[in-house]
Amino acid sequence: MATPLYERKVKYFLIFFTSFVALTIFAFTLSLSIGPSMLDPVKVFKVVFLKPFGYAEEKMVEVIAELRVVRALASLFCGASLALAGLLMQTTTRNPLADPYIFGLSSTALTLVALGILLAPDFMVHKAWVIAVSFLGAMSGYALTLLLSKLGGGGSMAMVLAGIAVASLFSGVSHVLLYLVQQMTKTPYVYLLMGSASTVLERDLQFLAFPSATLAALTLALFKPLNAYLYGDEYAKQLGFSPALTRNAASLIAALLTAITIAFVGIVGFVGLIAPHVARFLAGSDHRFSIPLTALVGAFVTLVADIFVKLTSMLARGVGELPLGVVTSIIGAPFLAYVVVKRVKRK
Amino acid sequence: MRIVVEKLEVWYNSTPALRNASFEVGGGEMAFVIGPNGSGKSTLLKTIASIVKPRAGAVYIDGKALSRFSPRELGKLIAHADPHVSTSIPSTVFEFLLTARYPHQSALSFSIPRQDLEVVDEVSRQLNVSHLLNRRLDQLSSGELQRVLLARAFVQRPKVLLLDEPSAFLDLRYRLEVLDYVRRSVEESGIACLVAIHDLYLASLYADKVIVMNGGEIVAAGAKEEVLKEDLLEEVYQVRVSLLDVNGRKVAVPLEPMERAKL
Repeated sequence: MATPLYERKVKYFLIFFTSFVALTIFAFTLSLSIGPSMLDPVKVFKVVFLKPFGYAEEKMVEVIAELRVVRALASLFCGASLALAGLLMQTTTRNPLADPYIFGLSSTALTLVALGILLAPDFMVHKAWVIAVSFLGAMSGYALTLLLSKLGGGGSMAMVLAGIAVASLFSGVSHVLLYLVQQMTKTPYVYLLMGSASTVLERDLQFLAFPSATLAALTLALFKPLNAYLYGDEYAKQLGFSPALTRNAASLIAALLTAITIAFVGIVGFVGLIAPHVARFLAGSDHRFSIPLTALVGAFVTLVADIFVKLTSMLARGVGELPLGVVTSIIGAPFLAYVVVKRVKRK
Repeated sequence: MRIVVEKLEVWYNSTPALRNASFEVGGGEMAFVIGPNGSGKSTLLKTIASIVKPRAGAVYIDGKALSRFSPRELGKLIAHADPHVSTSIPSTVFEFLLTARYPHQSALSFSIPRQDLEVVDEVSRQLNVSHLLNRRLDQLSSGELQRVLLARAFVQRPKVLLLDEPSAFLDLRYRLEVLDYVRRSVEESGIACLVAIHDLYLASLYADKVIVMNGGEIVAAGAKEEVLKEDLLEEVYQVRVSLLDVNGRKVAVPLEPMERAKL
């Protein structure tokens, strides 16, 4: 009974994993094809993925695809990072409503970044420093939310309400700060408030890609302590894992992942809420399976949201681009409502 | 396996929970810990499971002090079946049972050894939970969950087994079946077993040794015939108790409270 059950679980995981890899490749190719000059997705696919195998395409397609690849990669990595941050937060708080945006981490991180730009206008150029500052902000936001929720009884709803309080306060503060920045330096960092993948530079991409890939690998290495932690502090302790160490390590990784996305694309909400739920629904709560799947779902959702942003900006010319965070909110908020209703009903 | 508990003292902040507790449990032996609510039964079990740190005294397992084992070794050695399990993130019985094998695996190995799956299979068949493997923990009935929690402890294949209220929520048949199963496994594998329980009938049926606790202290410990006496039980529980002969066994039956509750 157990062996076939396990084999079936592995099989399902592999099926879903490969289908999401395929979906993500599809969305990635589509994202490279869409823009002011539309390219043929098939040609783009050949240029990007089959080039090592000797396929050559028109120079024009190659150049344009290369120009767009940074933006697509930025949304891919940010999506995966946010999704993993959400999963880690949901596990460590044992609260299925946790998300870097809902719990206020994104807003406090952005507030510190805005403060940094205000104090040193060339701050945004030094990406490593931006990440460090934004990490400090995310950590303090997380700590503040958990402290508030503890004072409010520590239930899962108290946590969400505390997060909303922190998020609202600091998104207001960061709004004010970024408007001051805009007036002072005439640079439009206001886009950070709702996120955008279009401003990421090629030379900065390494600061996004390598840290998030490393952190993702680190997360996966923690799968056993995380699995044990899911069932309670005392349970994890009994199996020889330190619950405090697990919680701190996971929270640190979650805050770092959030900080990285804030430093590059700004606040993109709800990806961290949706992706873990989809992954757990498909592959179960075992982190061995849910971590890779969550990262993929997050990357896919964010890529699709960015494609939507590109399409709307092309349809409505002259108004500029829609922020990325607006699109993910439109997808994510109903999802949040669904999770809330499902949980309240069960109680 | 032999557990020796020596002058154990546990405090929660500034309130004492356990004072001067000393006793021994040998391999293949079942010791039942009885006593009223708040008498320190669960604290005693948690201290042996190394979940709660004692302020004074020590627990020795085969002559080695508990504090000298690494957390990992303890995970291989001791299983504590705790009635509290968090189910807020949905997860299946199967996923839960698999985690119990972690102390026996290396921390980073991704594949699950075939023998671990066989252990899960065997235990879940014996405790009649194999039809629940695919169900979610939060959708089980209390009795089903109780059996799953016990199955988890056995999947860990411990040498020291600590059961906190294993009969809670179980119907008559499962109460007997489950304790029967515990009894058999304890004897077969030479496990040292401690059971905290409220049901005196089950204690008189299955115990080798009974430890009576009251107000954080052990008031009596020894063979069940010596310990399960009317006057002692009446004093500890404040309930009139009568000992009946059933099938040649002395069985303690509670009759009525000594003082009517002023409700």
